[in-house]
Amino acid sequence: MAEIVQTSADVLQMQGVYKSFGARYALNNASFNLEAREIHGLLGGNGAGKTTLMNILYGLYREDKGTIKLHGKQVEINSPKDAIARGIGMVHQHFLQVENYTVLENITLGLPGNNRFSADYRDETRVISSLIERFGLQVDLHARIEDLPMGTRQKVEILKALYRGVGILILDEPSTNLTPQEVDGLFKSLREMVNEGMSIVFITHKLQEVLDVCDRITVLRHGCHVLTLRRGEATEEAFIRAMVGEEMKIQESVLFADHARRSPVVASGQPPRLYVDSVDYKDAHGVEVLRNLTLDVHAGEILGIAGVAGNGQRELAEIIMQVYPPSSGKIYLDGRDITGMEANRLLSLGVSYIPEDRLHDGFLPKASVAHNLILGWHHQEPYSKRGFIDWAKVSREAVELIDRYNIVTNGPSEVGANLSGGNIQRVIIARGMGHLSTLLVAHNPTRGLDIPSMDAFYSLLLAKKEVRVGILLISENLDELILMCDRIAALYRGEIMGVIERSRFEKYEIGRMMSGVRTDT
Amino acid sequence: MLEQTHRQARLRFNAPGVLRQTLPYAVALGIAFALAGIFIHLMGYDVLRAYQTILFTSFRSANSFVQTILKFIPVTLLALAFTVPFAAGKYNIGGEGQMIVGATGATVIGILLRDEPAILVLPLALVTGVLFGAIWGLIPAWLLLKFRIHEILTTTLFNFISYSIIDYIATEIWRDPVAGHPTTIPIGDSAWLPLVVRNPPLHSGIVLALLIAAAVWVYMTRTTGGYEMVATGANPEASKIFGIKTSRMFMLSLVIGGALAGLAGAVEVEGYQHRLIVGLQSNFLQLGLITGLIAKGNNFAVPFVAFFIAMLEVGASAMQRTMQIPVEFVFIVEALVLLCVLLSDVVRRREWIRSSVR
Repeated sequence: MAEIVQTSADVLQMQGVYKSFGARYALNNASFNLEAREIHGLLGGNGAGKTTLMNILYGLYREDKGTIKLHGKQVEINSPKDAIARGIGMVHQHFLQVENYTVLENITLGLPGNNRFSADYRDETRVISSLIERFGLQVDLHARIEDLPMGTRQKVEILKALYRGVGILILDEPSTNLTPQEVDGLFKSLREMVNEGMSIVFITHKLQEVLDVCDRITVLRHGCHVLTLRRGEATEEAFIRAMVGEEMKIQESVLFADHARRSPVVASGQPPRLYVDSVDYKDAHGVEVLRNLTLDVHAGEILGIAGVAGNGQRELAEIIMQVYPPSSGKIYLDGRDITGMEANRLLSLGVSYIPEDRLHDGFLPKASVAHNLILGWHHQEPYSKRGFIDWAKVSREAVELIDRYNIVTNGPSEVGANLSGGNIQRVIIARGMGHLSTLLVAHNPTRGLDIPSMDAFYSLLLAKKEVRVGILLISENLDELILMCDRIAALYRGEIMGVIERSRFEKYEIGRMMSGVRTDT
Repeated sequence: MLEQTHRQARLRFNAPGVLRQTLPYAVALGIAFALAGIFIHLMGYDVLRAYQTILFTSFRSANSFVQTILKFIPVTLLALAFTVPFAAGKYNIGGEGQMIVGATGATVIGILLRDEPAILVLPLALVTGVLFGAIWGLIPAWLLLKFRIHEILTTTLFNFISYSIIDYIATEIWRDPVAGHPTTIPIGDSAWLPLVVRNPPLHSGIVLALLIAAAVWVYMTRTTGGYEMVATGANPEASKIFGIKTSRMFMLSLVIGGALAGLAGAVEVEGYQHRLIVGLQSNFLQLGLITGLIAKGNNFAVPFVAFFIAMLEVGASAMQRTMQIPVEFVFIVEALVLLCVLLSDVVRRREWIRSSVR
């Protein structure tokens, strides 16, 4: 482990920080320092301890051991209120905002003011407007939060911190729900803040972002500090190595090595694996969630659906999986109309589904791991015969899947609720990939996975592609789509804005489509 | 690498699984009896003698053992009437009402067809009881699916409807004028369940109860139907997405629950009372709930817990007779056992969190 050289220029020093949840160490002698006027990238895979470390700084968790020094003086931070009073602000991945309040009300909420009875916000408006001006965080102060897209809500969250006068701003995975254009805008604003004397911590698992914007980079792995370097002091490869350790063979990985990708051979006269024909869908409140949506996925093809969360991705997946019927339009599997087919029949045709919300839509917490691994296939041979489940067979198969997909568990009979989030995702992937023969619908399948598991999933996906499975990959991670897909379609407010071929993939082009600009293809 | 060692560590930790599962029960039981002992002592009774009476009365004579079995039958069936819907995530609090209408169904057949041969009347009376109970489970299920009225509310309220039904039948339709208590005239003996032991008399309901308990256990753990019920209870949304008809499972679970309680009623009439007596439901609903909860919904454990509860009940009456300790006292013991078992769960969960790796 590299020692951090700490200098007096540091505004913040965290040293020897330990934090455990149960018997698991989230932080194991982690250290971190932040200089004045820098954007500092905090990089690491899932479960590396990045967010835990910053939650300690923000007063959400208490460290088991370790010291925190602000401007050279040791401090104790017991609550977010404490943290803000000391000039530390944090923007989480999930915002806590009052949806039916205006932007202005959300920003000033909870602060003392002399407008308690008059609702006179003139002073506040003046201050906040100047912040908006200085840092390029364009927001309409009188818009209601619920009407705003995620990118703008994030600006509100940043303004909230700035208005409270923080000098250190922590951003947790800030690019998750943004289009590339919005990400660029965010980076520009961050640079402005640093120029005015602030320091920024930027938590991410995406290396490219860090290399784009950060002045210095710290890598954490298994709760340990691995290295801190200035941008340009090391190659991309060195950072990857620091993130994943020696456990992974980078040369063989899908994620980091350049593989020549064969584009699928579309057999003429063969109907596509999946054909969604002008589907409309209105939800229970009459809101049009999907509009005249048409797409096709061919055998051996990965079609990506790009889009900011909440633009109809979930409904698209569920309508294909026949969880509920479309308001109008048809869905075909290998040329056969499957609209309104019962879900269990669809599954028995070799269609697999990896749902987005794993706990809510994909997992049985109160049932065993084995129960979970056969959900949806339990009524088929070889798992059951004439209404009786062959548990010996299921158990054997489950042991094999547990091994192959690196699921950390006591065994097939362990109760599902005992598994960690990443392992639950592995169970769902094992189930989805283990039974697959025709079509896979995967919605944010790698969320919550660490880098080696993510990479393993990508290899599996490519293997399925080889055996001519059609794959619909719905993801909020544009890098993932660009890496894996043959074509990408962008979804905006329930409509397809255009479809781009692999040879013409361009991040900003897709970003434009994700924000509602149509592209001719 | 790291995960590998974790996995091995946890495997070793979990090796004495059976002990880990049963030990908390034993400890909970010990604590419950100790706590209750304090009360008995404070009330001025002999604790040791009281417990000897409670625990050993069932085994002192053939007669009291048969008494225990006669309690065991309805307690088991009513416990299953709770645990089956419980597995699907539904709460059947209507066992009592389902038992009463089941008993009513058996009585109707037993009286109306009193002169027909047993080969016809006996099974028909049983099936009618089961059917009536099932209907008493079906209506709340339908109200739940159609109007989203919570099943706890409807099944409980349906108990009250059944009180009126039994009152009406026992006082208006087939009232037995000789009996001092609202009771119907006896059913024909062609509807009586045959005895398996003649002296002291033990009817064949015990065979039925054991077979049903085994069948329920096999159904819930070995069949795809049981799998779908368990999956529905574990997560209805996920189950629905993966092709399980969850509404059907909710309905089926409550209908099975009702049928089991209905059977308990029919067996009570055909095997034991041979007439419909107001109040025949006794406290079997509460005992069934306690049994199902102590067994934590595990159908394999239900008969064992039910026997234990039946034993306490018989012991309690003996305790009242010989020591004048009020029979209600055993309720306190049963409640304490339940509380301690539930508490042991909390303790174990804490311990698990502390020892969990990930």
